[in-house]
Amino acid sequence: MTATIRRLAGAFGLVGVLVVLGAVPAAAVGETTGSCVIEEVGRAEDKYGSLDVLEETHQEDKLKKFGEDLEKCVEAPSPIIPELDEIIWGGAAFLILFGFMWWKGFPAVQRAMQARSEKIAADLDAAEQAKTQATTVLADHEAQLAGAKAEAAQIIEDARAQADLVAAEIQARANEEVAQMRARAAADIESARSQAVSDLRGVVADIAVGAAERVIQSNLDVDTQRALVDAYIDEVAGGNA
Amino acid sequence: MNLLALEFPPVNHLFDWPSIWFEGTPYAINKTVLIYFGSVVVTMMIFGLAGRQRESLVPAGVQHVAESGVNFIEESVVMQTIGPDGKKFMPFLTTMFFFILFSNITEVIPFIQFPANSRMAMPVTLALVVWVIYNFVGVRSQGIFGYLKNSLFPPGVPKVLYIIVTPIELVSTFLVRPFSLAIRLWANMVAGHLLLVTFAVLSAAMWGSGGIGYGGALILSFPMLILMTGFEILVSVLQAFIFTILTAVYIGGSMHPEH
Repeated sequence: MTATIRRLAGAFGLVGVLVVLGAVPAAAVGETTGSCVIEEVGRAEDKYGSLDVLEETHQEDKLKKFGEDLEKCVEAPSPIIPELDEIIWGGAAFLILFGFMWWKGFPAVQRAMQARSEKIAADLDAAEQAKTQATTVLADHEAQLAGAKAEAAQIIEDARAQADLVAAEIQARANEEVAQMRARAAADIESARSQAVSDLRGVVADIAVGAAERVIQSNLDVDTQRALVDAYIDEVAGGNA
Repeated sequence: MNLLALEFPPVNHLFDWPSIWFEGTPYAINKTVLIYFGSVVVTMMIFGLAGRQRESLVPAGVQHVAESGVNFIEESVVMQTIGPDGKKFMPFLTTMFFFILFSNITEVIPFIQFPANSRMAMPVTLALVVWVIYNFVGVRSQGIFGYLKNSLFPPGVPKVLYIIVTPIELVSTFLVRPFSLAIRLWANMVAGHLLLVTFAVLSAAMWGSGGIGYGGALILSFPMLILMTGFEILVSVLQAFIFTILTAVYIGGSMHPEH
């Protein structure tokens, strides 16, 4: 609200200055020599009556005065000579403006600029700090992530080692079982072999005894004895089968 | 003045304004004086309002105008001519720049259309103020003998040349400077006002003559009036800048004779 009022006051102030300056009689731009002469002639006729009458009656003093008035139409103070009133008012105006600028206007604007510079610098510092913090957090996160990755790898490695261990254990157990089975099988074989040898020994002894009995019982030649033995063996083998 | 059937006001009349108040006294107020007052009011309003708006990060409106002006004077005038120790002259130079600028720019503002500095009063007054200031600064910085010695016998010049250089420096530094400063500003504003009046009167006369005059006004004189108006805006700003920077150069020369 106050800002609007201030703007309106400013606008009215400017318009006021324009109106005052614009309302000043346009003696300079608008007046030409011709219009000035016409005005002077009109003024003289109002004052003296007809100018012809002045000439006819030789009223030199009035004609001279009229001539002087006409000369003013083409005369004006030299523009290069400074006017005292303009120096006084212009100098005072400048002095007042300088006083205002020195006392209030310039320092206020400079303070505003300084405050803005400081704010921008503070904001930049804060942004820099935030950036540093973010970088630190990022580094932490990256370190944590790397740790997690290493941990995961370790876990996998451990699992793998564990699996290898288990596999080796299973393998060893299997090997052991196989060895045991082999040993048992060997023992069984050995036992069977021993049994077989034992059985065979008994059988062979029986065979030998039987064969001997036969040989003794019948006095045969070599071929007959061999045939008797073979027949006996076949008999025994057939009996065992 | 009648040129080629064109009624042109006498040149002196273009710059002579009647008194409005206190006629016949040394305190008479005319249009020129009112323009000076207007310059003061406008500058005060800009800086007064700009100083109140502190919180905005990006300056806008009058704040932008004031801060740009201050920044411009600091970077383009003071730092270029005097250096960091010239910042104490910032309020004076800023005041001078804005006062001259707004007194000049009225030559293109409708209903005013007159540059106050086409009157000699303020150009010569300001130039004399500048003369006093740079001499005072010179005496204060170097002492009266040091200042006179460095001004009249510039270091680095072969001694035999002092016969020529010293009188030139005497006239140039102590006599011509203020007048060249004043006349440069005044003459530029006079010339600009004459140009604008010439094309304005020409446009009015051609338009008033009817017939082919309409075409002449529309094709020739009025476009030139518009062009010249734009040109005079540039001249107004430029002359304010030149007056201010020359002031800074003179002050800087008095403070640092080695430069």
